[in-house]
Amino acid sequence: MQILMQLIVSGISVGMIYGVIAFGYQLTFATSKTLNFGQGEALMLGALVGLTTVNFLIGNALGNFWAYILMLPVVLAFGALQGSVVEWLGVRPAMRAKSEAGWIMATIALGIIFKNLAENIWGRDALRFPSPLPEASLSIGGIRIQPMEIVVVLGAIVLMVVVELFNRYSIYGKAVVATSNDRDAAGLMGINTNRIITFSYALSSMSAAFAGVLVAPITLTGASMGAVLGLKAFAVAIIGGLSSGLGVVIGGLILGITETLTGYYISTGYKDVPGLLLLLIVLSLKPSGLFGKAAIKKV
Amino acid sequence: MLKIDNLVAGYGKVKVLHGISIHVPKGKTVALIGSNGAGKTTTLRALSGMLKPESGSIVLGSKNITGLTSHDITRLGLAHSPEGRRVFSTLPVMDNLLLGAFPRLTGMRAKGDVDGDINRMFELFPRLKERKAQLAGTLSGGEQQMLAMARALMLNPDVLLLDEPSMGLSPRLVEEIFHTIERLKKATITMLLVEQFAAAALDVSDFGYVMENGHIRTSGEASALQNDPAVKAAYLGGGH
Repeated sequence: MQILMQLIVSGISVGMIYGVIAFGYQLTFATSKTLNFGQGEALMLGALVGLTTVNFLIGNALGNFWAYILMLPVVLAFGALQGSVVEWLGVRPAMRAKSEAGWIMATIALGIIFKNLAENIWGRDALRFPSPLPEASLSIGGIRIQPMEIVVVLGAIVLMVVVELFNRYSIYGKAVVATSNDRDAAGLMGINTNRIITFSYALSSMSAAFAGVLVAPITLTGASMGAVLGLKAFAVAIIGGLSSGLGVVIGGLILGITETLTGYYISTGYKDVPGLLLLLIVLSLKPSGLFGKAAIKKV
Repeated sequence: MLKIDNLVAGYGKVKVLHGISIHVPKGKTVALIGSNGAGKTTTLRALSGMLKPESGSIVLGSKNITGLTSHDITRLGLAHSPEGRRVFSTLPVMDNLLLGAFPRLTGMRAKGDVDGDINRMFELFPRLKERKAQLAGTLSGGEQQMLAMARALMLNPDVLLLDEPSMGLSPRLVEEIFHTIERLKKATITMLLVEQFAAAALDVSDFGYVMENGHIRTSGEASALQNDPAVKAAYLGGGH
């Protein structure tokens, strides 16, 4: 029982990271029906830019904790900028040409370019990210938890709540929701929907970059950290549904927990299998995701 | 207020509008009538930038709006209540109204009294007030039509385009919608009205244009059109 609880707790923090990245997929899908297949690379770049910033600040006699806090706005701004570039270079031309699939190749290509760029700047080795909090585990009722794991869960929740409040209460947020509802009608309201789509890409990559610096102190950072996370988060987005905010959290937790359970009870070699099997099952039984609204394509 | 000259537009290689000219004077209501497929909706879509015109000119007030994007045209004061209502179904009625005032709330158009205008909309459409917290997608067809009109009016528009406001509604609701249009007309709102109920549309309008296969067949004062034997036979007689 103790071990089971321990595995579930560990699975939760991993799952929340998947959830945040999947949340990023949702943001752009809602407004433009496109996704950034380089989302994992956005996470990786965020983590590495964060690492360089943190090391610079620590080099200037700042403690780990304050260096981490001061690094956050830098990484968030960088993520937003990087997302805007992806939208501008990869997605907008394809949408203008009314290409059904152009954005898929374009965002994958940009992801590869970003990865190569990172390999040349930061090298190919995994790097240690200084943790802002003590790395010793806390023991709560016999279950060991790293302080940073708690930060991951809280940070993920805060990010999603802030975006939800923005959408619900600010006129610009309502404009984002209106664009997701009906792009042409939103244009008739005087909303520049191109700008809304750029914004959703900026927000999406910002979420990924944030996820990157949340997870980096627990794992290691490096140019290759993004690919697997991006793919798994994509599975989460499909399992949870591309239209449901709650869905990605639940989907993330399901995947995170099944992974740690499989890793312990079966074999770490098989830990990716149950999640992907779940993906296949969901795709065949409920293609809009466990929590998604069925998409009816009008002919 | 709105002057359309020799407008040509279509979808890809298929031309729908073959050079139409319409004049909507300030404070007047103009009806655009014609059978299905005549190009009425396409005309409105070309006016509000949902469709790029191929040639011709559209002047709103003193500004040439030909070829501008729909958000720019809206910000300049042209509101469009589109065919099929197109309300934001996952948002509450109140948010739909606020989005109608988006340019006013974001400094792109004179702000005026947004809260006061929302109250005026609730007075004009009391049913929307009862349902203001309800999601627009859960409204009945008639209520959605009222919301689409109220949302367009929230722009404080210089010209209001109404596309088939009576479409798919029960006879009682159709009457209610036309009653509302009369009230808007009394408030001297400049309107271009596209309608399948030609007789009712001409009743509430000052001028009328009859469209056929992408051309303006005839035009004139609404009362004159109502007595024109050819118009009577084709559009007003017996039908609907």
